[in-house]
Amino acid sequence: MAKGARIALAGEGGQGVQSVAEIITEAAYEEGREALYIPNFGVEQRGGVSVAYVQISDEPIGSPKFKTADIVIALSPRAIERTKKYVGNETIFVYDADMEGVEESLPDNAAKVLAIPAIRIAKEELHPRVFNVVIMGAVIGATGVVSLERAKQAIEKKLGYKFEKDPSLREMNFKALEYGMRLVKEKEL
Amino acid sequence: MFMAPKPIEGEKRVFMTGNEVVAWAATAAGAEIMYGYPITPQNEIMHYWTRMAPKYGRKFLQTEDEISAGFTTVGGVLAGKRAFTATAGPGNTLMQEPMSMAEMMRLPTVLVVTQRGGPSTATVIYSQQELTMTCFGGNGEGMRIVYSTSGHQDLYDYTIKAFNTAWKYRFPTFVLGDGYQSKMREPVTIYDPEARNISMVPAEAYMGNPGTPGVDRDPVHLRNTYNMEEELLKVINDNMATYESIAPEIVEYQEEEVEDAEVLLISHGIVSRAAQGAMKLLREEGFKVGYFRPITVRPFPAEQLRERAEKAKCLLVIESAYGQLKRIVTDSLYGCTTTIKSYMKPGESVTVEEVVEKVRSLY
Repeated sequence: MAKGARIALAGEGGQGVQSVAEIITEAAYEEGREALYIPNFGVEQRGGVSVAYVQISDEPIGSPKFKTADIVIALSPRAIERTKKYVGNETIFVYDADMEGVEESLPDNAAKVLAIPAIRIAKEELHPRVFNVVIMGAVIGATGVVSLERAKQAIEKKLGYKFEKDPSLREMNFKALEYGMRLVKEKEL
Repeated sequence: MFMAPKPIEGEKRVFMTGNEVVAWAATAAGAEIMYGYPITPQNEIMHYWTRMAPKYGRKFLQTEDEISAGFTTVGGVLAGKRAFTATAGPGNTLMQEPMSMAEMMRLPTVLVVTQRGGPSTATVIYSQQELTMTCFGGNGEGMRIVYSTSGHQDLYDYTIKAFNTAWKYRFPTFVLGDGYQSKMREPVTIYDPEARNISMVPAEAYMGNPGTPGVDRDPVHLRNTYNMEEELLKVINDNMATYESIAPEIVEYQEEEVEDAEVLLISHGIVSRAAQGAMKLLREEGFKVGYFRPITVRPFPAEQLRERAEKAKCLLVIESAYGQLKRIVTDSLYGCTTTIKSYMKPGESVTVEEVVEKVRSLY
């Protein structure tokens, strides 16, 4: 799926899905691809489900929203409900493995439904703050829309000022990215 | 004349939000002052403008509400400043009062609208429900120029153009975008207008010019109040005659595959991207589908549309509003017997897939 991708990314406000979308599209743009990202936002200052729509392609991109995504990533039970409608029979549906009692609400028409332990890995092996970078790695691992190198550069661009103060953060973010990529690859996509 | 320091030399490719694009375009166009009052989804136009203004010798005034932001824009124009404002939704409603004054007095105000859902506060995201209001709002006759943009390149190009159209023809000019365009990020080429041989029409002061009125120069007599019905009628008729005479040079539209089209898709703004995408897919499948997009929704490319519409079997008007574009289309095509169908989703976006499905259902 290296060519193009339509990605719907959803989580609770504060889980960082919008930053992930922003970094991925920026990276794709820097790599010379066509890229479009649109956040879904409501009137709330915090809370609520946050959805990011990302499209990356080699052709100019048309309408900013789409009916069916190539990959849907849902990071909370409400996000599953919210993004189910973007699932078609070629869609890969990824959700966090630590959510309980969501089996009933998972889509039954996806090409693949993958549970990845992103929250747990971020918490236990890295740091909860890099959870969204693990997710970013998973998106890149599943779609191949940008190279690992370009993704790292995009993270550097966004967080470089923090890395300067504490270089260990760089290492942790890059590790999270690679971890995320491995998580989906282990599932043999 | 105000010589503004240039924010961009030549041109460059960038990846940014539409709100940033508008701020860059207004700066590149040599806008001297923005008057503003915050409302989602266009807040960042103001934020980026205020960030850039001190660097490039521009000014900003935050007012107490949109009525005031509109009137101070009118004031800026009277003082000879290339002035603009931006708003959305309920803010656009409030700005209709100052904009109808600008219409009456033929003032070249520039207003960027990023449509959100309505009626009232509704959603802060997206719609095409401000079409009628932006074209015909206020207690006036719609003597306005409204460019409906479909993405970031349009936002940049038409924000610059809006200043020139306004100052050349002296009618209030609007850039009609939407919340998606405000918030989305996509690539766009930003440029110094001069690098593209676009020269900016100079702004001139209406009031406060040197000399004694009636002696050294003609007196300025600007009115928005009239005692007699007859007086008013004459002014409106004169203004309307001017508006109608310049309309043919202002009208802009985009079309594709219209020659042999059986079904002609009509849409404006960002929805036209879905229509265009659908047209391409349907053509690949052998459906004779054409695409027509008014860029100026006011004045409307009525003649051009009529010519295409008469050759088609069916027109499909697609919009994120309940028939606002369709009303303009129907009015423009009075007497044309081609069937007009519609796909209306007030306040919600339209995807390529939906349009494809709808067109297939027409066959």
